[in-house]
Amino acid sequence: MLETIRQKVRRGERLTFDDGVALFHEPDLLAVGQLANEVREKLHGDRTYFNRNMRVEVTNVCVASCLFCSFAKLEEHMPGAHTMTLEEAWKALEDRKDDPPTEVHVVNGLHPGLPFSYYEELLAGYKRIDPKVHLKCFTGVEIHFFAQHYKMTYREVLERLRAAGLDSLPGGGAEIFDEDVRKRISHDKATADEYLEVHRVAHGMGMRTNVTMLYGHIETFAHRVDHILRVRALQDETKGFQAFIPLAFHPDGNGMKNLPAPTAVDDLRTLAVSRLLLDNVDHLKAYWVSLTPDVAQIALRFGADDIDGTIVHETIYKAAGTSSPGALRYDDLVRLIREAGRTPIERDTLYNVVREHEKASAPEASMKVKDRVRPGGKRSLEVVS
Amino acid sequence: MSPLRVIGVEYLNARPLWESMRAESMRAESGAPASSGGAASTSGGRISGAPGSIAPIELRLAPPSELARALAEDEADVGLLPVAAAATMGELRLLRNMAIGARGKVRSVAIVAERPIHELDAIALDLSSRTSVVLTRLLLARRKLAPKLFGASPAAAVASIGDRTGALIIGDPALDLEDRYPHRLDLAEDWFEWTQLPFVFAAWFARPDAVSREQEDLFRIAKQKGLARVDQIAAEHAARSGLSEASLRAYLTESIRYDLGDEELAGLQRFWQEGAKAGLLPAATPSFEEPRVASSRPSLDTLLSRAADGERLSGADGVRLLREGSFFELGLAADAVRRRKHPKGVVTYIVDRNVNYTNVCTTSCRFCAFYRPVGHPEGYVLSREVLGQKLKEVVDAGGVQILLQGGLNPDLRIEWYEDLFRWMKKEYGLGLHALSPEEIIHLSRLEGISVRRVLERLNAAGLDSVPGGGAEILVDRVRRKIAKTKCTSSEWLDVMRVAHHMGLRSSATMMYGTIDTPEERVQHLVKIRDLQDETGGFTAFFCWDYQHESGTHLAPGDNGTHLYLRMQAVARLMLDNVDHVGASWVTQGPAVGQVALRFGADDFGSVMFEENVVSSAGTTFRIGAEAIEKRIHDAGFKATRRNVRYDWLTEPA
Repeated sequence: MLETIRQKVRRGERLTFDDGVALFHEPDLLAVGQLANEVREKLHGDRTYFNRNMRVEVTNVCVASCLFCSFAKLEEHMPGAHTMTLEEAWKALEDRKDDPPTEVHVVNGLHPGLPFSYYEELLAGYKRIDPKVHLKCFTGVEIHFFAQHYKMTYREVLERLRAAGLDSLPGGGAEIFDEDVRKRISHDKATADEYLEVHRVAHGMGMRTNVTMLYGHIETFAHRVDHILRVRALQDETKGFQAFIPLAFHPDGNGMKNLPAPTAVDDLRTLAVSRLLLDNVDHLKAYWVSLTPDVAQIALRFGADDIDGTIVHETIYKAAGTSSPGALRYDDLVRLIREAGRTPIERDTLYNVVREHEKASAPEASMKVKDRVRPGGKRSLEVVS
Repeated sequence: MSPLRVIGVEYLNARPLWESMRAESMRAESGAPASSGGAASTSGGRISGAPGSIAPIELRLAPPSELARALAEDEADVGLLPVAAAATMGELRLLRNMAIGARGKVRSVAIVAERPIHELDAIALDLSSRTSVVLTRLLLARRKLAPKLFGASPAAAVASIGDRTGALIIGDPALDLEDRYPHRLDLAEDWFEWTQLPFVFAAWFARPDAVSREQEDLFRIAKQKGLARVDQIAAEHAARSGLSEASLRAYLTESIRYDLGDEELAGLQRFWQEGAKAGLLPAATPSFEEPRVASSRPSLDTLLSRAADGERLSGADGVRLLREGSFFELGLAADAVRRRKHPKGVVTYIVDRNVNYTNVCTTSCRFCAFYRPVGHPEGYVLSREVLGQKLKEVVDAGGVQILLQGGLNPDLRIEWYEDLFRWMKKEYGLGLHALSPEEIIHLSRLEGISVRRVLERLNAAGLDSVPGGGAEILVDRVRRKIAKTKCTSSEWLDVMRVAHHMGLRSSATMMYGTIDTPEERVQHLVKIRDLQDETGGFTAFFCWDYQHESGTHLAPGDNGTHLYLRMQAVARLMLDNVDHVGASWVTQGPAVGQVALRFGADDFGSVMFEENVVSSAGTTFRIGAEAIEKRIHDAGFKATRRNVRYDWLTEPA
């Protein structure tokens, strides 16, 4: 089976639903990874993207009750519920004057009590602080919620937000498209069709978006393949997706806390199969917050060509018990990529190159350490390159 | 111009090749004729080349086992290497026309016995010559004989000769005992009978690009001068050894051949081929060309498929794989080796507890955040009460073993350990995997008794096996920098050698990513493999990168998870004689540990209750048996619990 799929991939032939399921069941993990790596290297060589971004979650008040979520607090008065004032939200960017991000990424709960103007002002305020900053804000689920709540069409919502400064949509909220699974884990927010329709409209307006998949909970491999193929179908139609981002389910503190989190082997396999099935989406992101930086580094050999950014202040996965740090320094990301033998490329949100770094000449000896004698005779070792 | 560093052996038959280098250099330096007497000594000398153009030669003499090490660790440029060692290192250039060999009887390398060789049950091997040991194995295999082989010192080998036990003896003892035993198998003669080719024991081998053609001429001149003095050399050796001068002269002029012509080269090539076929040596081809440009250099693919098939890799092969091998190719080859060694698809783990009985330590390694100096207020020694509580928890949790390690605390005498071990064994009955080589050596020094005696006493008190910690990188250049006061590489290996010979098993470890080079990492693996050839006592190998999060004095080296997986894969490929490779999830995290199961590992280490040394450096990963088994299953394997000898304690599921 794997050999047939390998031949198809090498001929550039599109894989089927059955191929996808077979890849998930293939015992030889490395063979699947190697094939995904072939595709990745054909598309991007060693180029591996990251950006200088900043996450802001302005509110965790949410009318939806997704089983997998450890972040949202249902109502405003509940302990732990928090909504930023616009000034607080803006300050997060103002505080970065010395190290400005190229992208602000806003994802929120579905807050029933805020006026639509709050979001417009939020965006406009960010552009006032930094007219060049790219605003990648509000998931398809939020856009759907805005349309319902403020009685507008998707297009109207998106146009008003774009007028206020919105540049693109993040990919969150996709979860699993299969209707049965979706009903069980997140019954009271945008359906799969609604989510995809938001993206269709956005793409039609010339807006680029990302798309995610939350895996490792109650779904089957077949559900994952179905999800990926729905992405592929819309992409055939619109060409508007930039990156696909598989997100691992983390169980702490949510409605599915009895489930184990997916293990690294599942993470890597899911990335690899995604790369092989999605022949029409340019980028596959190993979101280090979900994977941990250690596994994200390995993922750069399993099909992923993007590792997300510096992030700073992630709270959603933190609430679900990830062992990842909240932020990585720019240099840490460069090093993480170089240690995997790849070429680090700082990009902006639309994948324009901001800065190309050199690839490490020898991956296993990329760091040279020198013995030094410090004043007072104390010896220590320092990195010199 | 820095001198060419040449290293020779003290053996009589080697003297004609190097003696004039020493004599000439002494003359050049002192301005007076060299004294003609004087035994070969480890003191060196220098020989000048043609004025102005050629670097002078600096000669050093050492025991044969030291030669390969000095060459591998870049302490010498050219060595009179035994040919098995040269194949094991790989990628060396052979100097033309000079060797130590024999066409037919050699007289100085023989198996002697009271009975014909096919009636022997056992043969004691003088391990000082690896080449002769490999030759012995080949000749026995050819005759379809399989006596038990065991290593011994030269004197012990002779002493062990009995009714059905023979001995492989080498050098002076072999010449001395020429007519002592009724049965004698001259190895070079037997080789000739088999192959119709001469046997080459040693030759000058140079590191890549170390020796120019002009310099090579100096070796030929030295040989001519040496051969002209053979009578004197024989006379001097006769005076010193008490052997017959005529016999020695005949030995040097008739038995030993110093040429390396086409026939000798064919003999050498044949020996390397047979050694490789038997899995005793890496595949190698003798070459007068610079090895890195030689047409005979195998491709990486060839190396990987050889390794996957279980063939032996040279040190140079290992370095190439570590530098150039791609992530997946290394992983797939290591996975193939894992599958061949463990075809049932089972991954083991152990339920044990790491107890650090004291943090007081006199070594102050710069990578360690755990130790406290003597007298420090945070120093501790665990009381029986605390220990008892910990051990009880292990027993209650179904644990089978205690891994007991600590700092080098000068207040704790050997009796303290003996009492502790007896008490632990009596009260809790758990396996005792205790005291790394560093601690054993510390006790040996503290008590003024031998390492063997320490191990015997601890073994009698209940010690079951020795953990392989503290190996770091078994190359002294590295050890001197990162852990100056720790034992040397050979001391560490010697503790393991003694322990293995006593029947104790041990693990082997490696901590890379401080200041070590790829060459040094591979040299570490080669040293473990060499000792394993000798003792078979290592059960498993674990490696990890240096943990640098906090509190230590080393800056981060090169230690990504990507490298960890490649490094482990190379270790699996190099260590063809070690059964198990363990994923070090305690240091790498359970996620990376799981992926490591596809990069050659067949063991997931311990369900650990605590591990103070690593967690002091910021790594705190803790998972239980259920989580370990889930990871093993998700990676596509069955799981079972094991003991320290890797026996399965549960039905794999």
